[in-house]
Formats: sequence, C-alpha cells, structure tokens
Amino acid sequence: MVEENNVFLEEEDTQKDKYMTFTSSGECYGISIRCVNEIVGLSKIASVPETASYVRGLINLRGKIIPVIDVRMRFGKEPLEYNDRTCVIVITVNKTVVGLIVDKIAEVRTVEEDQIVPPPSVVNNSGQNRFIYGIVRTDDEVIMLIDPANLISEEEQETLSNMA
Amino acid sequence: MKTLIAEDDFASRKFMLRFLSKFGECDITVDGLEAVDAFLMALESGEGYDLVCLDIMMPAMDGYQALKAIRDIEKEKNIPEEKRAKIIMTTALNESRNVSKAFELGCVAYAGKPIDQEKFENVLRKIELIP
Amino acid sequence: MAESYITESMLDMFLYESSQNLETLENLAMECDKSGELSEAGVNEIFRIMHTLKGSSGIMMYNDITTCAHSLEDVFYYIRESKPDNIPVSDVVALVFDSCEFISSELDKIRDGGQPDGSSESLVAKNKAFLERLKKQITDGGDALPKDTRTKGPEVFYIAPAVSGNANYFHVTIKYRSDTEMANVRAYTAVFSLKNRVDDMYYIPEELITDESVAEVIINEGFHLYIKASVDEEELMRMIGQSSGVVNIDVERISAEEYANGGQGTGDKGDVVISLDEEPAEQPKKKSTRKSKKKPAESEVLLAPPAEEKPVSVSDMVKKAEDKNVKEEKAVQKPLPSASKQTFISVNVSKMDEIMDLVGELVIAESVVVNNPDLQGINLELPNFQKASAQLRKIIGDLQEVVMGMRMLPLAPTFQKMNRIVFDVSRKLGKDIDLDIIGENTEVDKNIIEHISDPLMHLVRNSVDHGIETREERAKTTKPQRGKITLEAKNEGGKVWIIVKDDGGGLNRDKILAKAKANGLLGNRNEKDLTDKEIYNFITLPGFSTKEQVTEYSGRGVGMDVVVQSIQDVGGSLEIDSVPGEGSTMTIKIPLTLAIVKGVILKIGSSSYVMPTGDISEFVCIEKKDLLVEPEGNESIMIRGECYPVIRLKEYYHLSEGFDDVEQGTFIIAEYEGTKAAFFVDDLISEQEIVVKPLPPYIKKIKGLSGCTQLGDGSISLILDVGNILKGLELTR
Repeated sequence: MVEENNVFLEEEDTQKDKYMTFTSSGECYGISIRCVNEIVGLSKIASVPETASYVRGLINLRGKIIPVIDVRMRFGKEPLEYNDRTCVIVITVNKTVVGLIVDKIAEVRTVEEDQIVPPPSVVNNSGQNRFIYGIVRTDDEVIMLIDPANLISEEEQETLSNMA
Repeated sequence: MKTLIAEDDFASRKFMLRFLSKFGECDITVDGLEAVDAFLMALESGEGYDLVCLDIMMPAMDGYQALKAIRDIEKEKNIPEEKRAKIIMTTALNESRNVSKAFELGCVAYAGKPIDQEKFENVLRKIELIP
Repeated sequence: MAESYITESMLDMFLYESSQNLETLENLAMECDKSGELSEAGVNEIFRIMHTLKGSSGIMMYNDITTCAHSLEDVFYYIRESKPDNIPVSDVVALVFDSCEFISSELDKIRDGGQPDGSSESLVAKNKAFLERLKKQITDGGDALPKDTRTKGPEVFYIAPAVSGNANYFHVTIKYRSDTEMANVRAYTAVFSLKNRVDDMYYIPEELITDESVAEVIINEGFHLYIKASVDEEELMRMIGQSSGVVNIDVERISAEEYANGGQGTGDKGDVVISLDEEPAEQPKKKSTRKSKKKPAESEVLLAPPAEEKPVSVSDMVKKAEDKNVKEEKAVQKPLPSASKQTFISVNVSKMDEIMDLVGELVIAESVVVNNPDLQGINLELPNFQKASAQLRKIIGDLQEVVMGMRMLPLAPTFQKMNRIVFDVSRKLGKDIDLDIIGENTEVDKNIIEHISDPLMHLVRNSVDHGIETREERAKTTKPQRGKITLEAKNEGGKVWIIVKDDGGGLNRDKILAKAKANGLLGNRNEKDLTDKEIYNFITLPGFSTKEQVTEYSGRGVGMDVVVQSIQDVGGSLEIDSVPGEGSTMTIKIPLTLAIVKGVILKIGSSSYVMPTGDISEFVCIEKKDLLVEPEGNESIMIRGECYPVIRLKEYYHLSEGFDDVEQGTFIIAEYEGTKAAFFVDDLISEQEIVVKPLPPYIKKIKGLSGCTQLGDGSISLILDVGNILKGLELTR
C-alpha cells in the first residue's frame, strides 16, 4: 500500500500536497484534496439493512444516490449525534463515489512531502492504523493522513460486516 | 501515363507528385482554374492527360467545378468516351453526399485523404492506366 | 449545421446499407425455404440485392465481398433467366446463408476498423459448382443457355482514407514566454512540423504568417491546435518538439464532437484570459478569425446545392453509374422495403438512458414543487397554481410516455433470428421443422430485448433438439411428418408473454424425476408430493440435463439454469408445461419495462421500502388469533382458508425499529411464480410510479433488494425484490 501511495503522490498536478483537514472524535485528519469532490451538509439518510454499521445508508445528492460512511465509526469509535456542524465530504476513489460523515471540516492546507512521516508501527487499540499512511506534525497539531482507498476498501467492509 | 494534379496544399501536392511520378510525367496546378487551363492546353497540343487528380477544396475554382468543366470540354470536342481522361478526386471530404456528387459529375474514383497508396494503385490498375 | 447530422461518411453508409440488405436477404431466403419454392419475386429480389452488394462493395474496393456477391448473383441470374425446374431449394438457401455469413463477418471486421481479409475463394467455388450443376440439368435437356444480358457493373471506385476509424483527437495549447519574439513564426513552425504527420488539424489564431499582430495573441492566449491523428499524446509531443520560448505544451485528448465543434468549451477558456483593456482591438479580430475557420462540412455546404438533404446511399451510386453507362435496364427495380428512406435517426442508447433519467428526475421535481410544504402552511386557495400545475403534470406525463415509447422495440427482429436457428439446427439434425411466428410486433423495452434474445435462442434450440422427435420416431406417431414450433408474443396483464411451443414428445416426467433424485435435487421432499410443474422445474436447476447424448446444440447441462437466470435478471419468470406425446410449452413472462414501475411505498420504523405493485395481490389486517405459530417459530396466517407464511421485514433485515404487534401493522400478500407469502409492515404510505435506480456499487448486493428510488420529497426508498425474498424463504422452510 505504501508503494501505491508513493505513486499516487508522484503524480504532478496543481492539487499536489493539498489536503482537506477535518476533525473526528477530537483528532485531526487529512485527506488528499485530489479525491474530494465537494462538501455538503448532512441531509436525510436512508439506512440500508444488512450492511456494516459504519455504512450509515444512502443520501440524495442532487438526484444521485450515494452511500455515506461515518468516519468515526469506521475507526471503531462510538457514534456521535449528528448536529448542524456535521458534514459530508464527497470523495471519489477508484470511480466509487462515497460520502464521509465527519464531525467538523477544518481547512485546506498544504503539506510538503518531506513533512510526512510514516505512522508508528505499533498498532494502537482504536484499529485505525490501517487507514493512516502518514503523520504530519505542525506547530500546533498532528494531522493524520487518511488513505481513502483503504477507507472504503472492499475486503475491509466484508470482514467488518461479517463481524457485525 | 500522363498525369495532371490539381492541389492547393503544398504538402499534399508534393506527396501526389512523388507518388504519381513513378508512373510517368506529372504536371502540377494549384487551383481548379489553372487545372482546367492546363487540361485545355494539353488537349490542344494533342497530348491530353490520361489521369487528372483533383482536390475538391481549392481556391478560384473547386474540384467539382473543374471536373464538370473538363467533362464539358471533352463533350464539346466530341472526344469519345473511352478516350476521355480518367479523373480521380482526392479530398478529405468523405461524406457519401460528396462522393455521390463527384461520381455524378463523372469522376472514376474518389480517394479520401490521407491517400491509401496501395488502393490508389489498385484503382489505377483497374482502370487500366498502369499494368 | 443541421446538415451535419444527416451526413454520413461513405464507409458508415456502406456498412449500414449492406447490413440492411443482408438482413432482407436472410429473411427472403428463410421464406423460400419455408415455402419450398423460389418465387419469381424472391429470385428477383435476391438477385437485386446481390447485384447491389456487388456494386457497392466494388466501389468500396472490398474485392472478396464483390467476388462472393458476384458468384451468387450469377446463380440467381441464371435461375431468373432460364427458370430451371427441380431447383434444390434448400441447397440454394444454404448457399445464400453461407454467403450472407461470409459477407456479414467481413462487414464486422470493417466495422471494427480492421481489414476484410477473409477469402471468398471456397464460397465462390461452391457457388460456381452449384451453378454448373444447374446448367448441366438444362443443357442435358437440350435447352440453350440464355445469353448474358446483364448490365456491367459500375466502373467507379471509392478509395477509403488510409487511416480511418481509430483516430485520436487532441487539443494542444502551446504557451510561449511573454518576451518571445515572433511567436507567430514559432507557432507556424509547430504547425509545419505536424502538417504531414497528422490526419487533420486546424489552429487558432489562423493567420500566422500574414498577420503579425497575432504574435501578441499567441503570447497572451497561447496557441491552440486541434489535431486529428492516430498517435498518442507522447508521440504527438515528440512530433511537436521543443523550440525556444516555449513555456508549456499542454496536450488534452478531446472527443470527435469537440473537435468538430471547434473545440468549443475548451477553446472558450482562452477567451477568458484575454483582457479587454489591454487589447481593445483584439476581441473583434479574434471573432473574425474564428468565423473564418470553417469546418470542411460548412464550406462544403456552400458548394453543394442544399436541395439534397438525405445522405446518399452507396447503392444509389451504383444505380446512377449504371444508368449512365447502359441504355437498357432490364432488371425489375422493386424498391426494398427496408431501404425506403424513412425519417429515422439513430440515437445513442446512453443518451436515451439519460433522457429517461432526466424525465424521472422531472417527475420527482414536479411532485416536490406541487406538494411543497411551503404551499400547505396556510389555507390558501391557489386556483391558478392548481390549474398550472395540473397542466405541468399532464405534460410531464405525456413526456414520460413518449420517452418510454421511444425505448420500446418490437420483438420482430429477435424472432426473425430464431428462424435462422431453426433452419440451421434442424437441417443439421435431419429434422423437418416449421417455425410459426405470432405477435412479433409486440413491443418491449430495449434493455429487456437485449437480455431476452439469448435465453430465447436457447429455448428454441432446445425445442428443435430435444423437443421435436427425429424423423423415425415421429413416423411412429400420428402427428404430421413436419414438426412445428410456435413462437408467440402477447401482452397479458402488464407483462409480455413469450411462448415457445413445440409439438414434440414432451418432457419425460419420470426421467426428470429420476435424474433429480440421482443428483439429490429433491432435498427432503417426498416425490409423491411433487406436482408435474415442480418436477418440470427441476430442469432449470444448475447442472441438470437428461439428454443422454450431448449434442452440438444443447444438452451440455448448462443452459436452462442460465436461461432462467437471465430471464430473472430482467424481472421475468419462466413457466414450463408439458403434455407427454403432445409437446411442451415454455412461457417467458417479462415486464414491459425495467426503468419505471408502479410500487407501493411502505414503512417499517423510519425506513421506507417500495414493493412493486405487480407482485402484490392484496393487503390485509388481521387479528391476533389468525396468526399461527409453528413449534419452530415459523409464523403463518390464514386468510379465506388459505395459509400464507409470514415474513416480518423488521426481522428479515434485523431492523431496530418497527411494530411487533400484528394488529398494529398491515400484511401485504405478495406472490411470485406461484409462491405466496404475507409481508408484515408498519404502514402503507401510497402507491406511485417509481424510477428504478441500481444501488450504488459500494453497497454490496443485499438479499431481497433490487434497487433504490427517490421519492417525491427527495428521500430515498429501497425497492424490495419479492421474487428473491420468496426464493430464500422456500429454501429455509
């Protein structure tokens, strides 16, 4: 996966090094702006039975029906009541359009490649390590960079739904 | 085989010249009007062209007009059908309408650009201009 | 520009026309085979088509097609002129089919951008040999051979462009440093380096050499090239090469339409960059260069008389050329029914689907507007609004109908194909079989037709192979010597029924049962409990085939299950019926359309689901005492003496909300392929037409769901697949 990410990053374009950051359960995460389509407010979710619990259901995005994932629950944390700050980041990964429900959108920031360090190899108990491919330490905070492909990867979904 | 080429584009002209020179003498004109003049001149000198290649989109007089003019001249001079020049249109216009119009005006073949040399030669063989 | 929609390239026209002709030809041959004789009209028509094919392929210089068509034309010419007796009709028909096959495979190659490299040699030899045989019959009889009075083919040729088909289109933007001198000349060098190596190109600004002021335009806006070439980006970059002053070369792949539209959309970006204050004189000039950049089609329109509106067919050219060369035209020129120029346009299916989607959105948007809560707040009388919205609703309704109608196609072409299959298979198996076609004008949604063609082919093939007895077996019965297969389509209760019926031996009940037992398909059921229908249904299970001898055409044991699967994929079902000694009947029942269905919206907790109205037989509310609970916990209800298993959707989907008390909610009695069940739901909301959308691919296939839809208020509802749920139920109970 790490190699794949390198290839991902080496692609030249204007969106390189730009990350959309957001908070979820108090932590700050970043996701490459390249895969972000748009940010929308949370609309009514139609729940879909027999799916993993973090798959909250379907939303209607201007006539397109897309699935939404709760990032907090995806990382194995307790769900939080949604409020008017709750946002959906609509991303496209490998032609799949998915909405990510996050607590709060922070900002778009530039992260130089040499600022990124690999995550600690020790698996922490939240089980979110497999989604993080890099960590950025800035003066005031730590941003964890999410690998979107892993976030919505199918094997993951399957194992989790089996567990559920 | 004596050939007349009417072509306004320099590159195409050069290509046609190189391609057709293999089979004999080639004359070149850059528009339809000049082509008709050249055709008349050759006819009057007693050595008409065997093959005339006409581009369609040309300044002064387009390929259709040139084709029609040449056929009219031949008709007026009572040149028998089998002695008339073979005319091949060479053009980038490939809609069936263009092709049909050209056939109606009396051309023997219609070649889309870029020219397929092999097929072009096949046609020359079929119309018995080259062995 | 309207003309550009009806102009077709020479090649497209040839392909289209030839396929049409081949289709007519196959049908003609089929008719001849069926009637067992070559009618004069038929012979004339086949001769004419072959003549046309010969001529048009001659113009296009596809030699093998020409020789093949020519040799068959010779055969029919001879038949037409000397009218020999005792023509072996089926042999002639086979010849026609073989030629058709050859030509159509060659056409496919051309269509895919390849070369028609097949050889017609053996076919020509076969046709010639046949002709010799025919001739011999006559000359032996003493008759003189008729003189060949045929018109000579046209001596005109079309030389297709060397590269056609797989061209790529590019929009290249070259940016020069702002201090670059004579950017126009540099741009011209780029043009020059490409000139002989691309198929076609044009560029903006156009006047590079004569107008020096464009240098500034180029620096400000970049130099835009639109290129058609059969190379990729890299190769193109290499061809343009680097020259001094170039800051950036941007190569963008564009579609053929964008190319034809002068890169509109992409080219416009350049307009934004230009600043009016700096270059006041620039804007108008730019406009004029754009205008002068004529597409070939446009300039051609100026030359050609506008009177001719329809594309000219290749066969017209053949005819015209012949008319010119030859004074007497002997052939009877009857116009082809399919070649008659109707005002049809062909539309990309994806565009149709898009329209369909948009109409679906429109239906929803309309209901959002009309039922908007903002309007309902106060007790307002809105007579004008009501009137206007009623009108809107009517128009949208009409629109929906028209769009649906556009997608409906008659089954006739699909049925026609079956003719060929019956002919081929029965010929090879040595059976005499007639195919009767009824109701081929019944219309079905295009998507469904595509899915139904293969299963139907399989059923027909099965009937020929397994259904109809061999000649010997058949002779032992009192049935007519020729077998008969009936293919029928009809509308019945909102569905289309397609029936394949044969008058063969029927299905062997005992054999099927034995085989099912051997393969363990009975499960724990007692064979005495099984109805005939249930037994016949065993043949639709995977890996079932009773035919001892596997033949080339069917009987490999894969088949019926695949057939059933494809039918179910389009929401259809297959019914099998059979009478020993009298034949069997396969009935496919398919919905008219997939895209829009009527459905009942129901609620369980806060989730809403839709059940297709077609599957529902009734709604009932019951009292507690009507609910029967078996010891294992399976529930059922009794209504008018009939027992229905209960499916609580809440439990089925492990939902956290929803009623448990049977007296609170409602039961929906639904039926699918004879299996019935009562679905317990909280509440029924309404019935409405819904636009079926697939579930997003990220959501894996979920049992019992066939898709989702958007309701009038913009919320999303899941569509229940009753068939799927009931099937699962059968397995578990």
